[in-house]
Amino acid sequence: MKELIKMQGLEKMYVNGDIEVHALKDINLVVNAGEFISIMGPSGSGKSTLMNILGCLDRPSQGRYFLEDIDISEQSDNELSFIRNQKIGFVFQSFNLIPRTNALKNVELPMVYGKIPTAQRNARALALLENVGLADRYMHMPNELSGGQKQRVAIARALANNPPIILADEPTGNLDSKSSVEIMQIFTKLNREKGTTVIIVTHEPDIAEFTDRIISFKDGIVVEDRLTEVGKAPKKEAY
Amino acid sequence: MLLLENIKLAISAIKANKMRSFLTMLGIIIGISSVIAISSIGASAQGAVSKEFESFGGGYMYLSVNWQQTEEVTQDMLFSVDDIDALKARFPEALRYTAPYAYAKSDVKVGRTEAELSIMGVAADYNKFSTNIDILHGRMINKRDVEGARDNVVIPREAADKLFGKEDVIGETIAATIMGNPVDLTVVGVYQIPASIFTQLDTSSSYSCYMPYSAISRSDELFSYIEIFADDNKSIEEQGNAFASYMQRYKDVPENTYTYESAEQQLSQINTVLGYLSLAIGAIAAISLLVGGIGIMNIMLVSVTERTREIGIRKSLGARTNDILTQFLIEAMILAVIGGALGTAIGIGIAAIGATLVGVDIVLNISSILIAVVFSAAVGLFFGLFPARKAAKMDPIEALRYE
Ligand SMILES: Nc1ncnc2c1ncn2[C@@H]1O[C@H](COP(=O)(O)OP(=O)(O)O)[C@@H](O)[C@H]1O
Ligand SMILES: [Mg+2]
Repeated sequence: MKELIKMQGLEKMYVNGDIEVHALKDINLVVNAGEFISIMGPSGSGKSTLMNILGCLDRPSQGRYFLEDIDISEQSDNELSFIRNQKIGFVFQSFNLIPRTNALKNVELPMVYGKIPTAQRNARALALLENVGLADRYMHMPNELSGGQKQRVAIARALANNPPIILADEPTGNLDSKSSVEIMQIFTKLNREKGTTVIIVTHEPDIAEFTDRIISFKDGIVVEDRLTEVGKAPKKEAY
Repeated sequence: MLLLENIKLAISAIKANKMRSFLTMLGIIIGISSVIAISSIGASAQGAVSKEFESFGGGYMYLSVNWQQTEEVTQDMLFSVDDIDALKARFPEALRYTAPYAYAKSDVKVGRTEAELSIMGVAADYNKFSTNIDILHGRMINKRDVEGARDNVVIPREAADKLFGKEDVIGETIAATIMGNPVDLTVVGVYQIPASIFTQLDTSSSYSCYMPYSAISRSDELFSYIEIFADDNKSIEEQGNAFASYMQRYKDVPENTYTYESAEQQLSQINTVLGYLSLAIGAIAAISLLVGGIGIMNIMLVSVTERTREIGIRKSLGARTNDILTQFLIEAMILAVIGGALGTAIGIGIAAIGATLVGVDIVLNISSILIAVVFSAAVGLFFGLFPARKAAKMDPIEALRYE
């Protein structure tokens, strides 16, 4: 099985004047292509910090992070932008759609930065919206969509450049349980059918049960790393 | 990121805050429109003035005592009719027309209608040299009028209308007072002046008329000016200097006693003044564009702060530092260019209204319009740079966390 993510002795410190926060301590983590993972842990335990580093939005203070064998700590800002654009799809708790910009344009955005020609990205954005069941809403502005719909647009956008990894920091945190289940079903389908690696952060155990593997954090340290019931099931191995 | 995409984005951002964008542009609009208006009016005025000077007729100048250079002007420095004849005899070819400067003003009355005439003394066939007299009826003052010092007058159409209620008034007489003596003037011609900037601006109520210079001056009178139409194919400067130095020798007076003024000289003086004027306008333009630019910088800083989160989102989706920089730079430039274009349109409008009011043809200063638009884009670029850099350098995580 292909190693997609590898972290070695990774540390993250935040220094704000006199105050020093050791947000991640000696993280050693391997994620294979096609995994479906939940990251859990109390608030302030370093989950978002880890996701930001995984997503190449931030750099570790120490240690190494390899993404598809690329040493991220050696990359320039522009190279990191390119990696974010091509390899990573972000889904946020607060949706983070661009305001006053319709669903279609939001989904097109990563393709704009990826320099995909207009006609092509138009067609692809429409297809992606159709996949998340929002084909009829493509002209809607973010403020005209419900939370669940916004998150589906965000997922469509995250998939725009067909990245191998989806990173979702508390994607269901602002959603009701029905929408949460819908979102998790989309992630599951994505992971099962396309083999996309999906890593989500969640507080809710029943959301975590959708995934195959749960990594638990406490005070910046991995305290538990286990397979869920779904993850133990043999069908997973077939993939 | 593609340029077109950035332009679309900028326009939608500007549209999203119409009022604010408009107020931001106002500085540029006011600056550019005043520059365009004033420079167009200036160019129109310059065009009209040159046309006016051309209408004096080629080779126009007058020879006079050099009042500035001569310490004491004595009687023997002034010109007599004989002096003028001597000058004419010396330069028979070059001097196409000469007349001493004679002028009279008279209140006249025909029946119960009163008017004021400004009478200019002329030699024969003045209208053949001066191109702004159209004889409508009768004739111009001729040689026999001058030699006989006849009390004949050529009046403008408006005066004929006012005094007699009709245009063709040849042979009518007008009771006037010339040099303190009551005289009956006989109308021998009616003329009209082609419309010009000067006739439009002329608010005086008196009518410009022409009489033989000999009829409005004594035969032994001394004059300080000689009106001349010289050879317009030769240098005005050379001819003017030749006339002046000949007169100095002839009358045995010191050098630099006489000088000449030509329409050409005056035109170039006016053009110099207009040149300073455009410099001043340039300074005003620079200041207003500076103020406009600061306005743009200010609002772009506000916009960057407001859109911090958007910047974070864009970066998380793969926007490079340069993509963000270009996005905000283009937005600032488009703000400035729209302002510049609006300003240009308003400026042209004001210039057109101004030109219509003054009655001159509008001359659009195309280069100043081009400069204005290019300049406003440059202002947008310059003042947009700081806010755009601020946006581009944002840390994606901080930006995403911004509430
Ligand atoms: N930019 C920052 N500056 C200083 N401290 C930070 C910053 N970001 C996060 N932290 C701190 O790092 C720790 C981990 O935060 P975070 O990764 O957001 O936790 P979680 O997502 O698990 O709630 C917390 O103590 C938090 O206060
Ligand atoms: Mg968090």
